[in-house]
Amino acid sequence: MIRPLKKYSLEIVLLLPMLAYLLGFTLLPVMNSIYLSLFDSSGLAFPSSGSYGYIISHFQFKEALINTLVIVFAGLTLEFFLGLAMALVLLEKFRGRGLVRAVMLLPLGITTIVAASNMRYVFDTHGFLNKALMRLNIISAPADWTGGGAATLLSVIAADMWKVTPLIMLILLAGIESIPSEVIGAAKVDGASYMKRLRHIILPMLKPFITMALVVRGIDAFRIFELPLALAGRTVPVLSTYAFFEYREYGNVHTSAAASTMLFVIILVSIGAYLFLSRRNREI
Amino acid sequence: MALAVLLLSGCGARQDKLKVAMSLTEDEWKVMREKVIPAFEKKEKIAVEAVQVEASDLPQLLEAMDRAGSMQIDLFAQDNMQLALLTSKNLVEDLSTYEKMIPRSVPRALVSNLRTGDRLYFMPYRPNVQITYYNKAKFDKYGLKPPRNWDELLAVAKKFKQKEKTGKVLFQAWGGSPTATQLYEWIVSAGGDPFKFNDRGCVRTFIFLQKLWPYLSPDSRKARFETANEYLERDSAYLSQNWSSGFSQFVKNKEKSYIKTYSGFRGPRRYAHVIGGEVLGIPKGTRKTQQALLFIKHLQSKEIQEIFVSELGWLSIRTDAYAQVEPRMKQHYDSVMKAMQSGVFRKNVVYWDQYEKLANEAFIKIVVRGEPVRPTLNYYAKQMSEHIKK
Repeated sequence: MIRPLKKYSLEIVLLLPMLAYLLGFTLLPVMNSIYLSLFDSSGLAFPSSGSYGYIISHFQFKEALINTLVIVFAGLTLEFFLGLAMALVLLEKFRGRGLVRAVMLLPLGITTIVAASNMRYVFDTHGFLNKALMRLNIISAPADWTGGGAATLLSVIAADMWKVTPLIMLILLAGIESIPSEVIGAAKVDGASYMKRLRHIILPMLKPFITMALVVRGIDAFRIFELPLALAGRTVPVLSTYAFFEYREYGNVHTSAAASTMLFVIILVSIGAYLFLSRRNREI
Repeated sequence: MALAVLLLSGCGARQDKLKVAMSLTEDEWKVMREKVIPAFEKKEKIAVEAVQVEASDLPQLLEAMDRAGSMQIDLFAQDNMQLALLTSKNLVEDLSTYEKMIPRSVPRALVSNLRTGDRLYFMPYRPNVQITYYNKAKFDKYGLKPPRNWDELLAVAKKFKQKEKTGKVLFQAWGGSPTATQLYEWIVSAGGDPFKFNDRGCVRTFIFLQKLWPYLSPDSRKARFETANEYLERDSAYLSQNWSSGFSQFVKNKEKSYIKTYSGFRGPRRYAHVIGGEVLGIPKGTRKTQQALLFIKHLQSKEIQEIFVSELGWLSIRTDAYAQVEPRMKQHYDSVMKAMQSGVFRKNVVYWDQYEKLANEAFIKIVVRGEPVRPTLNYYAKQMSEHIKK
């Protein structure tokens, strides 16, 4: 036991700052949050499932959970198809391709809160979208895109798509470019149409990249926070904003911790799914 | 080495300076840093270091410093609805012996509300009152007058919706403090006790709000203290209640001179206007109590209160600080004074956060979702009484 410690003493010393960081800034806060969630909502009984019972029966938590799931699954599906389409377009050789690629990546460099504020100019009651629709005589009065309901969820998904689709596009583009050109060339010689090449060659060979893009983005999507908050206020609660308001505004530490822990478990399950799928892909 | 020098110089600076915590906007900080603080530093030869601390963060911050035995704040300005936590946790100095230093021109009502039993823990500094803002140009265009009661308010809201195809009367339905404050005011004006939830005044208020909701501005659900005036400025709303201090932005913006204020409309039982604002307190554990008291005296002086009134459009704690206001502000201050006459202080209770939460939930269920008024309010009345018992 002592010998390996001596043998790797330098490595251990070099690893210590990283371990201290992980322990102090990741593990301890998470453990503390789980610990706090095990009190009842008044903070008097421990251990108790009271805080979990409270939030599960709370109508705003249910709403937050449904909204989070809708944003993740609907958003991810749309982001995937759009990202794939963009990657396929950018694969073609045309004049100014470099510039188009650079412009498409711009949203990735913009802070989420700034992106959300910009999107308010689009989706506000007096925003660009309503002005455009009214000029085209599609609507006669400003529509309320951010006042709650399905329209607001769609607005949040659209704003999120604008921000993160370039990331999916980038991963898929890298994947498509890694497919040997001989394979596609041979299919062309055999007379396979573009759609057939896409269906039978590109998409199957892109599978590991698709899995990675979807799972990485999926984990990230569960943590959505600033975008719905800045764009739609409280009209579209999600799990993270629910936990935030429980703690920050109402001082309910334990129910906030319970909501955070549930979000943490969902993210853990997503990471588990990613590890499982990536291992299966490797085996295939 | 550089870090050590920085830390040492920081410690040195801390020892010399009076550290003041406030929550101000950029414009307000400008006036505070360029006029108010330099005048004090010149007069008293005491350096001041003022920092931004949000009202909601202050109790936790003071508690942490108190537990650590190292109080880093010597004086703070705090929202008058966040005081109960500070006194219940014994985080503030008892200032009862210094009550005599409060200027005579400060109305006694502003002081008596700050008492906890027979003790005085806070000093008045910046009052605020809920008044009503309206777009005079649009009211004139449709031949309307600012509503004087709930019936007229409903009629005005309906007329705007009919003419503009979208609601133009704003209710701050963002949630949290703005919604709870407005509900509190409306319930009191209907003769109810907001903490009871299901008395006659509460029921009447929620029934009326349910009726009014379809005619309100769609921006209501995003409107709060900080954004309501923005909607007025962008002509997205033509009538909105808000704190009186926000009027200065319309004075600065000459193009918006058609935005006017008046004291507001009455409820079925009475006029009621919530009085808010900030007060000053000295944290327990500071060694600079005397310097902090000098700064309080400075902030309450006529000279400084006049700066607050003329440059920031704040309401003054002193009745003698309004001599230098410009004509347009004069009309505003008349509205404010009228609103103050029927001013209502919210009860400073430790369960205010829980009231806010339950009031917001009741609002969403009844007003936004249209659930039945009485059963829903009965449910929340029970919840509230359990919190009060705790």
